[in-house]
Amino acid sequence: MTAQLSPPRSRTGTHTGDRRPTSRRRQDHPAWFLFPALAVLTVFFFIPTLFNFFYAFTDWSSFKTQINFAGLDNVTSLLQNGSLLADLRTTLIYAVLVAIFQNLFGLILALILEADTRINRAARVAFFVPVVMSALAVGYVFRAILKPDGTLNAILGALTGQHVDIAWLGSTTWTIVVVALIHAWKWMGLSMLIYLAGLKTISPDIMEASRIDGATWWKTFTSIRFPLLAPAITFNVATALLGSMNGFDIVQATTGGGPGGSTELLNIFVFRTFGQGLFAQATTMSLTLFLMVTILAFPVIKFLRKREDVLS
Amino acid sequence: MKHAWKGTVAAAVMTAALLTGCSSPAAPDAASGPAAWPSQSTKLDGVTLTIWAAQNSNKTPQSVIDGFQKATGAKVNVVTIPDPYEQGVQTKVATGDKPDLAFWQPTASELTSLNATQTLQSLDGAPWVSKYTAGLGDMTGQLNGTRYAALVSSPAVEGVYYNKEVFAKAGITSTPKNWDEFLTDARLIKGKGVTPFYDFGGGTPWATQWWVQVQLADAAKAGLWDRVNTNQEKFTDTTIQTAVDNYNGLIKEGLFNSNLKTATFEDQGKALLAGDAAMTVQVNSFFGQLQAMSDTKTLNDKIGFFPISPKGNMGTFIPDQSNALVAFKTGDTNREAAARQFLEYWMGDGYADFVKAQSTVSIQQGVETPSTVPDALKAAAAAVPTSVGSMQALAVANPDLYLNLGDMIQGTKTPQQVTEATQQQFASLAKAQGAKGF
Repeated sequence: MTAQLSPPRSRTGTHTGDRRPTSRRRQDHPAWFLFPALAVLTVFFFIPTLFNFFYAFTDWSSFKTQINFAGLDNVTSLLQNGSLLADLRTTLIYAVLVAIFQNLFGLILALILEADTRINRAARVAFFVPVVMSALAVGYVFRAILKPDGTLNAILGALTGQHVDIAWLGSTTWTIVVVALIHAWKWMGLSMLIYLAGLKTISPDIMEASRIDGATWWKTFTSIRFPLLAPAITFNVATALLGSMNGFDIVQATTGGGPGGSTELLNIFVFRTFGQGLFAQATTMSLTLFLMVTILAFPVIKFLRKREDVLS
Repeated sequence: MKHAWKGTVAAAVMTAALLTGCSSPAAPDAASGPAAWPSQSTKLDGVTLTIWAAQNSNKTPQSVIDGFQKATGAKVNVVTIPDPYEQGVQTKVATGDKPDLAFWQPTASELTSLNATQTLQSLDGAPWVSKYTAGLGDMTGQLNGTRYAALVSSPAVEGVYYNKEVFAKAGITSTPKNWDEFLTDARLIKGKGVTPFYDFGGGTPWATQWWVQVQLADAAKAGLWDRVNTNQEKFTDTTIQTAVDNYNGLIKEGLFNSNLKTATFEDQGKALLAGDAAMTVQVNSFFGQLQAMSDTKTLNDKIGFFPISPKGNMGTFIPDQSNALVAFKTGDTNREAAARQFLEYWMGDGYADFVKAQSTVSIQQGVETPSTVPDALKAAAAAVPTSVGSMQALAVANPDLYLNLGDMIQGTKTPQQVTEATQQQFASLAKAQGAKGF
């Protein structure tokens, strides 16, 4: 699908400007207009990123004043340390779980609240509220709800008539799922909004045609609407997956990486190492995370973009 | 377009180069000798001092500040640094942000992590040092022979807080005299159907390490941490490994609370006070928690303290952040002198008011401990002179032993993995400091 954005020009025109349309377009926005934005981008994005590379190969710590080049020292000591690989694995599992839950919940909500009724609008706002809440606040609230003598167990106890004291955040196997659910709960409102917008772009003609053909709701969804939602899915899955690789706040507030280190995301490890004063090692770890996100981002986005081919 | 891009790239590279040039995190500062000590009441009108404090120490200096402001005309602000306090302060200092004074653990490892020789004022020659009771001044607050921290209250001691009523019901009339008697009593109490020990693996399991450290007291006296500091002995070697194994063995034996994996610090205090458990191995801040839940009389009736070590009743001292302050080199000589004067006032004219307002044990000759201080705290303070330093006090670095032990409680690490992980972290910290042997 290509679009004609500029008005057609006469190929036989005598004006000099019309002969070289590209040079004229360049004059529309002089290069120096870019400088303010580029300066901001440089100071707040490029340079910190460069420093992330640079400090990873030094011995920067809180114990010394000088920063010396240390070569691959940090990398080798990190590779010897089993925690790094274990935490990378935890981070990946967490990110995949969040991506699944957040998109599943977001899509279900979008389908339920699709019609523009007053109640639905109010419900959309309600589900969007967690998105704007502080992640730490969400974490602490859930920690209070999920503790053995917390609200959830009290509710379950009242329903079953028995004393319930399940430690929801106490299992070394399942707590990561619980924390991923909390993360997904916080962000599902955003996914919902994007899916709603995606659903609105589907042409009513196609829907009408499918209705006339006698397609069921499920058939319409699987064969028409879901494939046509591809751009929304690309955005939602990519942001949820890659965003939660950088997760920290919710997990820190609910479990702090426990129990038994089973929810220790790489960022929590980075935070701990930084807190010990080993700044260079912490930087090396965040570089590892950066590399992992980058390596993962390309195939994931490529695959998701491929699905968008149905639109063209 | 090509030329424009070249220009922007060049500009970006230049900006980057310029910024790199001026981003050294902390400018080096020439070390200086002992500074002069001004008189306590020197007028300081127009001088404003800033003290960094943690959430649990930001009220501590109030009476001192009130008195100091009145006496000198200076203004003193307390800024609370959110928890985790040590990490917050370290990060700020590393990026060049410094207060005049800050609460800080007066141990060698924590002074090192603040880069004391570069960032802190030397407190050598401080007039109050000679007035400390029982040689407290020599026990802590120094790094490589230079004093950097002013100890203001009795350092915390790792030891056993016990419920007197539970002991009486079990027929135990005197507190155990060594580790074996300690375990005999515990098994006796278990036989009576009461949980002997209470610890917590939920939340941040920071008290787990006390169990290992009190078992190391005799070894520490014999120079364990000196050997660890020089890499002649490792956490994975017999001494420390055995202590970890023993702790694990006691858990497996069922001497601990059944909800060990999920219990929290708050639960621990409640359980001991209610007599649901007989003993906890803890430090002074635990007693602070009990004080928040009860009054002095009840505490005197119910809760006692005794130090424990394998061979006897040697305590293990661990000064914490609320026990001491450090003064920073800010580059402003007036404020630096005022900061020293503030500490001088705290440990001088202001000290009697301070121990009264805080209801804490006096560590200065000539200043009486107020009668409102509970017996258990007095017992803990009395154990300090014969105590030996903890890992935090004597080792060059403070690895996350407690977290690894917490993992052991949850079953994600074996006792061997606990010491391996701790040794690994200790070695990288020691190496970063440039300690010999790493």
